[in-house]
Amino acid sequence: MISVRQQSFKLLGFLDVKNVPCARESVLYGSLGSLVVGLGHFLATSRVRRSCDFAVGGFICTMLGYWFYCRYNLAQQRIRQRMLKEGMRNKMLFEGSSFDPEKKQTGNERSNS
Amino acid sequence: MANHSQLGFQDASSPIMEELVEFHDHALMVALAICSLVLYLLTLTLMEKLSSNTVDAQEVELIWTILPAIVLVLLALPSLQILYMMDEIDEPDLTLKAIGHQWYWTYEYTDFKDLSFDSYMTPTTDLPLGHFRLLEVDHRIVIPMESPIRVIITADDVLHSWAVPALGVKTDAIPGRLNQTSFITTRPGVFYGQCSEICGANHSYMPIVVESTPLKHFEAWSSLLSS
Repeated sequence: MISVRQQSFKLLGFLDVKNVPCARESVLYGSLGSLVVGLGHFLATSRVRRSCDFAVGGFICTMLGYWFYCRYNLAQQRIRQRMLKEGMRNKMLFEGSSFDPEKKQTGNERSNS
Repeated sequence: MANHSQLGFQDASSPIMEELVEFHDHALMVALAICSLVLYLLTLTLMEKLSSNTVDAQEVELIWTILPAIVLVLLALPSLQILYMMDEIDEPDLTLKAIGHQWYWTYEYTDFKDLSFDSYMTPTTDLPLGHFRLLEVDHRIVIPMESPIRVIITADDVLHSWAVPALGVKTDAIPGRLNQTSFITTRPGVFYGQCSEICGANHSYMPIVVESTPLKHFEAWSSLLSS
């Protein structure tokens, strides 16, 4: 599907966060996760160095975690879109004919009742 | 076709190319995570004072063995899935033969009638206004859209390669060998490619143009060609 391309903004010079689906949200949630984990650890332990380590770990884990979740949902949505498109095309092609799936369905309902 | 100074992929026009673009995005996200980690560790290393106090590094060695293994699995699984997907050839509606020569392509449609034609690049001096330099040809391949197409590729003289980036297709044309590839175009349009294996002086001047049209237009075109 052609989408309208915005001007790209490449994080670290290679990841286009504006045009890649889920990238922007992943980085933002990752940053939030990093802040929460790092700050939380610091407030609990007052250890700066270790809190920074946890912050970076939190960033990576949250970013990748949200990325997989978002891409999985996007893949499911795409599959549903394809099935819908094919269903609509088949309905138009076979309406009224013996292959019409709606005709078969009403036929089954009649035989069940 | 690609715009000038375009670094990224062209818009995907086949399901395989869509999968490749998604995998590329996934690989770049993993690369971003790794780069962030490496940048952080580098910063730490540069800020630390040098010391030789470390004698035991079992934990960190375990981490830097397991973590790369996990990263490899994250990349390998979708990659293998796409690799096997690319090899599926599922009852094509049309088989097309592409033969590479120095320095033009010959296409044959022999499923129903014996149709064949040569495809030469349109020289820049003969190019109509608004057409693309070094990409246009005198005879395009026309295929029906949303139909599985099989292309059998070979060469007559030296190595060539039949490539159309928008469709995610690149297959070597080897003399004495038949290579097979298949694709489905998801929408009508004109897709450009260029020979992708060095084949002599005019290697850059033997482009490929695929025109994807609704079936009735394809039938009209093939009737015109055969008459």
